Amino acid sequence: MRRTLLRVAWRASSVALVLALWEGVARSGLVNPRLFPSLATIGTEFVSLFTTGIIWEHLGATLVRVAGGFSAAAAAGILLGFVMARFVVFGRLFEPFFSATYPVPRVAVYPIFVLAFGLGHLSKIALVFLECLYPIAINTYYGTRAVDRQYVWASQNMGASPRQVFWKVVIPAAAPHIFAGLRIALPVALVIAVITEMIGATEGIGYLVAYAAASLSRAQVFAGVLVIAIVGFVLDRGITFARDRLIFWERPSVAIG
Amino acid sequence: MRRAAEGLAIPVAVLAVWEALSATGVLPRYVSRPSAVGAELSQLVGSGDVVQHAAVSLYRSMAGLAIGALSGVVLGLLSGSIRAFAVFFDPLVSFTNPVPKIAILPVLIVWFGITDTSKIVLIAITTFYPCFIAAYAGVRQVQPAWIWAARNMGARADQVFRKVIVPAASPHILGGLRIALALAFILMFASEAIGTAHRAGLGYLVIFAESGGRHDLMLAAITAIGLLGFAADRLLLLVARRVLRWQPEVFRA
Repeated sequence: MRRTLLRVAWRASSVALVLALWEGVARSGLVNPRLFPSLATIGTEFVSLFTTGIIWEHLGATLVRVAGGFSAAAAAGILLGFVMARFVVFGRLFEPFFSATYPVPRVAVYPIFVLAFGLGHLSKIALVFLECLYPIAINTYYGTRAVDRQYVWASQNMGASPRQVFWKVVIPAAAPHIFAGLRIALPVALVIAVITEMIGATEGIGYLVAYAAASLSRAQVFAGVLVIAIVGFVLDRGITFARDRLIFWERPSVAIG
Repeated sequence: MRRAAEGLAIPVAVLAVWEALSATGVLPRYVSRPSAVGAELSQLVGSGDVVQHAAVSLYRSMAGLAIGALSGVVLGLLSGSIRAFAVFFDPLVSFTNPVPKIAILPVLIVWFGITDTSKIVLIAITTFYPCFIAAYAGVRQVQPAWIWAARNMGARADQVFRKVIVPAASPHILGGLRIALALAFILMFASEAIGTAHRAGLGYLVIFAESGGRHDLMLAAITAIGLLGFAADRLLLLVARRVLRWQPEVFRA
């Protein structure tokens, strides 16, 4: 217990050092405090975002877009990955398509989505869906194909029906890969939601931050960035937590490396 | 060859259906026909317009990528090899990695204005992360036995680093670079679409064409961004295969 506490304190020291450096520069008077506000100023603005209640509408809109696009992509991507792995025709048609279009910056089609679906939730959800579909479908596909043949043969030998083989063997064996895809996709979902809100929206955290920057409320920009940072951090820890609970037989995921 | 033909089946089918639906007027007018987009794109290339915009975009994304990738790889290698670096950078990176870096664009705009600088800095920060993580993880997975063997045979510390650690980590590093390259293009478009001062850049062209109702131009510019991203990735794979030719199994896409 004491050792873990010591470890956490040790790990936190470099973060604390950077924060202290920031505060030192902000208070030194060398830089314009409006361009480089102190942590106290940012903190006050951050708290007032919540006490005035401005944040809730924007935070809610962003989370709806992230959750909508991500869950739709998870459902469609896992299904598509399974189908591609199970039926050779689909694998042959879709795998080269995915690997060819993977490096294409798909975010550029956002203006088309705005024309098709409007400036509201739907255009953002559609782009989040499109971006998240790739890592989820591809990881599911390779994960399912990598399932050890011996597991399948062994279960068939013991009289498992195709349905049982799928649920009891293929899904558990592919689950770590599927979760790897989900973990790549979730931060992407937030990034895309924020980007699209900055480019064109009427609500959302990305919109709030871009609006604050345009109206020169600098402290609010920093506070909004802090909100986005916390959401990103919490989402990532959430999916890591879910993974370690659901796939308890694999070694727990580490934050890095 | 057969693989390529199969891979083209879906895109060709989509384009054919799209062309047919546009020609018969089923699709709304803003979805220009593929043939019209192609004509616009070839005209853009011919007049040199798209080349100018692409050059500006490439300057921003590649300058940012160069700074981010170089600092990420160097610091990642150092963190993997020297404990003091790891103690400082590992917590900072793992704490800030899940944070969407695009969020700091407004902060950078506050500091640097809507300039190339704010875009380059944003792309440098974003691409730093996958490069750092890949180099760091790459060094840490080097088999200790290789390092011991090299030392046994009398290699100095710098020789172990150059002849053992860096080559053994290079497949990881190139994997990180590939992610960084894709991110550089995404952020190039995003930052240009959010705000561009000099009326230049492919992202600017997309937004400008959209607001002017020139949907063929918009789609042509989007296509140009897509082709550029695709070509850059293929170029990186080509380089990766050459650099790692002693490792035949990796980077066959």
